[in-house]
Amino acid sequence: MRAPRTVDLDVVRALTRHDLTAVRRSPAVIIPILVLPLFLLVLLPLSIGIAARNPDMSVDRYLDLLPGRLADPIEALPDSERLIVLVLGYLIAPMFLIVPLMVSAVLAADSFAGEKDRRTLETLLHSPVRDRELYLAKLASAFVPALLVSWVGFAVFAVVANLVGWGILHRVFVPTGRWLVLILWVSPASAALGLGIMVRVSMRARNTQEAQQLGGAVVVPLTVLAVAQASYLLLYPVAVSLGVGLAVWLVAIALNARGAALFTRDRMASRL
Amino acid sequence: MDVGAISSRGLSRAFASGPALVDLDLDVGSGQVLALLGPNGAGKTTTVRLLNGILRPDAGTATVLGLDPWADGEAVRRRTGVLTEQAGLDERFTAMENLVLAARLRGFSADEGRRRAGDLLERLGMGDRVDTVVQGFSTGQRKRVALARALLHEPDLLFLDEPTSGLDPSATKGVVEMIADLAREHGRTVVLCTHFLGEAGRLADRMAVLFHGRLQAEGTPAEIARRLWGTRRTEVDLGHAATPEVVALLARVPGSEAVEATDTGIAFEADERAVVADAVATLVGSGRAVFGVHTHEPTLEDVYFAVEARALRGDDAEVTA
Repeated sequence: MRAPRTVDLDVVRALTRHDLTAVRRSPAVIIPILVLPLFLLVLLPLSIGIAARNPDMSVDRYLDLLPGRLADPIEALPDSERLIVLVLGYLIAPMFLIVPLMVSAVLAADSFAGEKDRRTLETLLHSPVRDRELYLAKLASAFVPALLVSWVGFAVFAVVANLVGWGILHRVFVPTGRWLVLILWVSPASAALGLGIMVRVSMRARNTQEAQQLGGAVVVPLTVLAVAQASYLLLYPVAVSLGVGLAVWLVAIALNARGAALFTRDRMASRL
Repeated sequence: MDVGAISSRGLSRAFASGPALVDLDLDVGSGQVLALLGPNGAGKTTTVRLLNGILRPDAGTATVLGLDPWADGEAVRRRTGVLTEQAGLDERFTAMENLVLAARLRGFSADEGRRRAGDLLERLGMGDRVDTVVQGFSTGQRKRVALARALLHEPDLLFLDEPTSGLDPSATKGVVEMIADLAREHGRTVVLCTHFLGEAGRLADRMAVLFHGRLQAEGTPAEIARRLWGTRRTEVDLGHAATPEVVALLARVPGSEAVEATDTGIAFEADERAVVADAVATLVGSGRAVFGVHTHEPTLEDVYFAVEARALRGDDAEVTA
């Protein structure tokens, strides 16, 4: 047997691997986390992109609504390129905040509250696993897939967007530097935020369904906020995206740190 | 010196719904099998959770295997095995996968976990279901797999919480026999929480009875019976009702009490077995034929229901040996 350490990473890995395998074997969990990104990150851009190839459609009215000089990068493009660049290069951006937020929320509910449904939590509590190891494993098993779905989804989206736009643009227009900041910095923060919310909610909830209902009350407004604001992140200077990402990270870290402090055996065993 | 496997003093815990355990004083020696008895909600599961360090006591102290279960919970749990009332197996995984995870969480390699799990599942009659997904298992099969998981690391102390609940009589018999084997081997200490008196009677050296979170009685059934009733009644078959002369003869035997004639002989009460031997010797020595002697030994059930009756009457005085 191994000698005990403060956090035994082998234990964390074993628990995380177990949870990830469990997700793969649960149609009720795996289907939503695959179908939602497939629709939002692939099928929706594909269909919108094909529609946006219509050279007769004008985006001038929309661009006029943008404040200040935000529309400059699009207005600098030839008329034929404006619509497809606007739609696939900017308007689809919120999906890359929504998807990790929702995937991490779904998985966190299954990972934390699901143990109560499956009546497996007490067994875990009676094992010598430390509270911190259990918490880290649960975080990882929700965060890593959310990140993977987001990144793989973006890679597929980039291919689809460039294929759809190739006939008009004759160049690769996604990803840009701003896109990379969104995907590598803001999108993981969004996943961490969803996680932080659902961890807190799941610890209070009696089962997954209750966790999802309670979590939905918080996640849905955040989703609306993301839809409303994320497109602008690609129009503002990179520093704005970095700043917004930092703010989301700080809130997410605060929520998760508080969650970790509350994640104690006594608290969990008291609610069995 | 044997410091005992479990010792608690004034152990208490309350939840929002009210007190779950109040001032528990309990001692269990190494190698003993203790039956923790009581109806649902009596505090049995809370006791196990406190002793295994997954709940923090509101008051009182406990020592388990020489360690404080709350302060040294991880070390305690490395040496204990728990069979929870719900088997707690992940239904999406096979029996082997469930056990290998448990082994990994206890610091064993996956290979070592597979070896131990395979051996135990074979021994518990689940050798042919090792790679079957748990979802299709009966309650009895789940209990067996969960029992194997509790034994993977060869614990010094086993907590078995309602090990036969939900089992049919045949499966119950099998699990009880398994537990008896487990208790015998390696002098392992077992705390058996149950409200099935039959299995407790078969397995336990000592019993502790909880009602509404309070310990009502603790000791061997005989010890508790002595506390409850003081003496045991013995009936001697003389082939006919004893004469007043015989009654007087027995009344002179030191330790005999409440001597009376019965339809078939004579009856008396005594608190020591030696008094019975003296009484029989006296009868035989005086030329009386003795056809049979029956001392009423209270069963665990007799004791349990007597303790329960006291608890229901509100008599909170603890019956301890």
